[in-house]
Amino acid sequence: MKDSMKPLSRLETSSIPCTLNGQEISLNVPPAKRLLHILRDDLEMTGTKRSCDIGRCGACMVMVDGVPVNSCLTMAYQCSGKSITTIEGVSAGGMDPIQRAFLEEGGFQCGYCTPGMIISVKALLDHNPDPTPPEIEEALSGNICRCTGYGGIKRAVQKAIEWRREAYESESVHD
Amino acid sequence: MLLNRKGSGARWRVRPDGPDKVTGKLAYLTDMTAPDMLIGRVLRSPHPHARITAIRTEQAAAMDGVHAVITHKDVPGLNRFGIANPDQPVLCEDRVRYVGDAVAAVAADSIEIAEQALRLIEVDYELLEVVEDAEYALEDDAPKLHPQGNLLHRNGFKRGDVDAGFDSCAHVVEETYYTPRQMHTYMETEGGLFIPGDDGRLTVYSPTQHGFMDRMQLARILAIPQSDIRIVSSPIGGSFGGKDELNVQPYGALLARATKRPVKLHNSRWESVRVGLKRHPMKISMKTGIDENGKLIAHQAKIIADTGPYATLGAEVLNFAVEHVIGPYRYENLDVEGFSVYTNNGLSGEFRGFGGNQAIFALEGQFDRLAEKLGIDPWELRLRNMRKSDDPGPFDHPIALTEGAKQVSAAMTASALWQERGNPGRTEEEQAEPWIRTGIGAAFTMHGAGLGFGIPDPAGGRLTLAADGKIEAVFGYEEFGQGLIASLEQMLIEQFGFASQDIRIIIGDTDVVPDSGSTTASRATSMMWKSLQNLRPLFEEAVLGKAAEILKLSASRLRFGEGGVYAIDADTDSSEAECLITYPALAAGCVEPITSTTQFHFPTSATEKVGAHFLYTYSAVAVKVEVNQLTGRIRLLHQYHTVAAGPVINPQGFLGQIEGGSSMALGFALTEDAVMSGGQYLTKNLDTYLVPTIAEHRGTMDVHPIEELPEEDTYGPRGIGEVGSVTLAPAIAAAIYDAVGVRVTKLPIDPELLLAQSIDQLLDKAVSGE
Repeated sequence: MKDSMKPLSRLETSSIPCTLNGQEISLNVPPAKRLLHILRDDLEMTGTKRSCDIGRCGACMVMVDGVPVNSCLTMAYQCSGKSITTIEGVSAGGMDPIQRAFLEEGGFQCGYCTPGMIISVKALLDHNPDPTPPEIEEALSGNICRCTGYGGIKRAVQKAIEWRREAYESESVHD
Repeated sequence: MLLNRKGSGARWRVRPDGPDKVTGKLAYLTDMTAPDMLIGRVLRSPHPHARITAIRTEQAAAMDGVHAVITHKDVPGLNRFGIANPDQPVLCEDRVRYVGDAVAAVAADSIEIAEQALRLIEVDYELLEVVEDAEYALEDDAPKLHPQGNLLHRNGFKRGDVDAGFDSCAHVVEETYYTPRQMHTYMETEGGLFIPGDDGRLTVYSPTQHGFMDRMQLARILAIPQSDIRIVSSPIGGSFGGKDELNVQPYGALLARATKRPVKLHNSRWESVRVGLKRHPMKISMKTGIDENGKLIAHQAKIIADTGPYATLGAEVLNFAVEHVIGPYRYENLDVEGFSVYTNNGLSGEFRGFGGNQAIFALEGQFDRLAEKLGIDPWELRLRNMRKSDDPGPFDHPIALTEGAKQVSAAMTASALWQERGNPGRTEEEQAEPWIRTGIGAAFTMHGAGLGFGIPDPAGGRLTLAADGKIEAVFGYEEFGQGLIASLEQMLIEQFGFASQDIRIIIGDTDVVPDSGSTTASRATSMMWKSLQNLRPLFEEAVLGKAAEILKLSASRLRFGEGGVYAIDADTDSSEAECLITYPALAAGCVEPITSTTQFHFPTSATEKVGAHFLYTYSAVAVKVEVNQLTGRIRLLHQYHTVAAGPVINPQGFLGQIEGGSSMALGFALTEDAVMSGGQYLTKNLDTYLVPTIAEHRGTMDVHPIEELPEEDTYGPRGIGEVGSVTLAPAIAAAIYDAVGVRVTKLPIDPELLLAQSIDQLLDKAVSGE
């Protein structure tokens, strides 16, 4: 059998171009490798957390072209040509108002769900700066927090909405 | 006053561990790696009960990239673990007793190689009868899972003659309650990194709730001195009791010793489910009788707890449940007993609430039913039988004096939510949607803290003025999210006057911390508070004494402040206040660091009853629920929690513990159950094991702490880590009865029970809109 006829091995790597936190990179990994493992094991970016491995808990959430996805369900080939933002990217230019709001309101305890939760909040508010409570519930219901009972998280989201609005209004005044 | 950010003012503080958590910078122990690291994997039994007749590892060991394959033959010391009763095999020799049992473990270059190696290990099993029912397990003809039989532990308490008591009762209620196999579902599954040192020592980076206990157990397994092991155990991505017992540590330690290379393990969620501890499923049968005035005459309870294959703290959980099926009430005649029973189901053990959750659900249910029989308000029946502040505890043992029972009862009955009860007006939703019913219910709790009488329960800590001028607070406690670091920092700031930048907190490392006992049983904040009470005069004397010597002033004229030592009358808030000597300058003037230490025991009762508690937290919870009679689903509209636990140390932490505990109780009541059949888990991950999401938390919640303690009280803040998780389920059950007249006896509540009997009529209304 010719080499090119062989089925692609699970472990055979290919080069996948994408943007990670604003930086253009090429992933040299098997195409079916999960983004979660690429981030954590290959790139040693451990802000993205591993928890259920089946896309139910949201601890591993990242944004792909601004859309929140579970990185445990995202394969390398699906990242080709896409722009990926992880929690490390959210705070690259200093702490985001969402992160400050989580700090201020106590929207975390053990903190293990927090990076994924913040990604979901950011993806929501970037698209919908003034969501209704049902819209917040829908956007965050794929992120499980076992510690807080969501009280602090709900208060943090409200605070983040407020702060982003204030920042927007003061920018508008200056314009 | 309700607890919130605004009302807490400056006491509402940003957690010191927060910035690294919200930015993802915090390295959890399962995030760690080391150069030259191998990946460890454990082969678990596919069968809940079987004899092992052969284990063949040759093929796996011969695989390229496999560096060690170990079985029971490779355990140099005790091939068993268990905090109180080491009866769980590290690696099974000849028998498996549940689907989490470990048979072999491998260390390999990659995950893929390690998993392939597991597939190459051949184990011959002879299947044995699966014991999946705890009551059957107690029968004579059931297979015996352990040489002594299937009874792990039996405990009870008797006073008077219940049979005679029941004969004289005006009303008797008999009911049997069932509670689920709840899973901790910490978001970070078990794991860690195990690094053998060149000096022969082993460093373990793995979450646990008591580093020194892990060190003792690992030393016993490895047959090496405890001093050859260092346990680094924080930070932790959630535990709730679930990481109290050893989990991956024995395998990581053995593989690291076998390969002389760092080994990492990190459980998949499915492995965490099949191996990890759960809350004991309990069957609690109760018979309770009152006279014509509602006075409790006799109370009988029988608890059957399914403890699974091994002990861990199953006996201690049972003791707790036996104490809490008696609870905060006084009875003329009592007869309670419990059985903790081995089965081939999942492993049950320590879990937030510790047997109280099950016991209180049952006990409070009895009061609601008895009150109805007598025709009085359910809370009135509780009031008539509630303990007075100087009454003895559940086992007739002396307990610390507080007015907690009275305080929470008064606060709850005065709450707007409880006052709303009986309001005949229907809500707008109910009018628009006749299949929606609302109801209000409440429940009451007295929850013990500390390990209880007869169990070693050490406490203590250390304060040091370090060489660099930092005030080091050193405790052997763990941070698993509860906010222990934040609470300790807040106490140091508020009680001593330090600034946060003056302080360095050191926890979770057996090489440097004292044994402060376990971070369990709602005890750590209480014990840190007490430690600081003990340390303050010692540390002041030593440090201020040194400052006085340098400054040539009287020590009695000096005090701690932000950044250094001040004159006692200097107002720190004033910009003119002069720092007489900074902590770094003071440290520079010391030949060696100044250290003060304290060691003591958690307060216990003067009793002989093992497990009896001395300090209790009281709580009353009222809840308003909405029952949808078309779907059988329940929505919480409003919760009110009042908690009498002495002074609030950390408002944000307190609120978070009660809100978080309540969420766990909501899951316990409505959706969570790790379902098993034939000893196999049917719920293997979070797609079928349903933890509450934000959408289940639409309702509002008030938390009302009651801080007053008797003037002579010296025990200070009581535990609040567990109490939020124990009272909501019975309150929901009472509210459901109020809404639709259905009595709940089994958790999680089956929605089918709540469907309207006249569903066709409701559907007609829904369709016609009338």
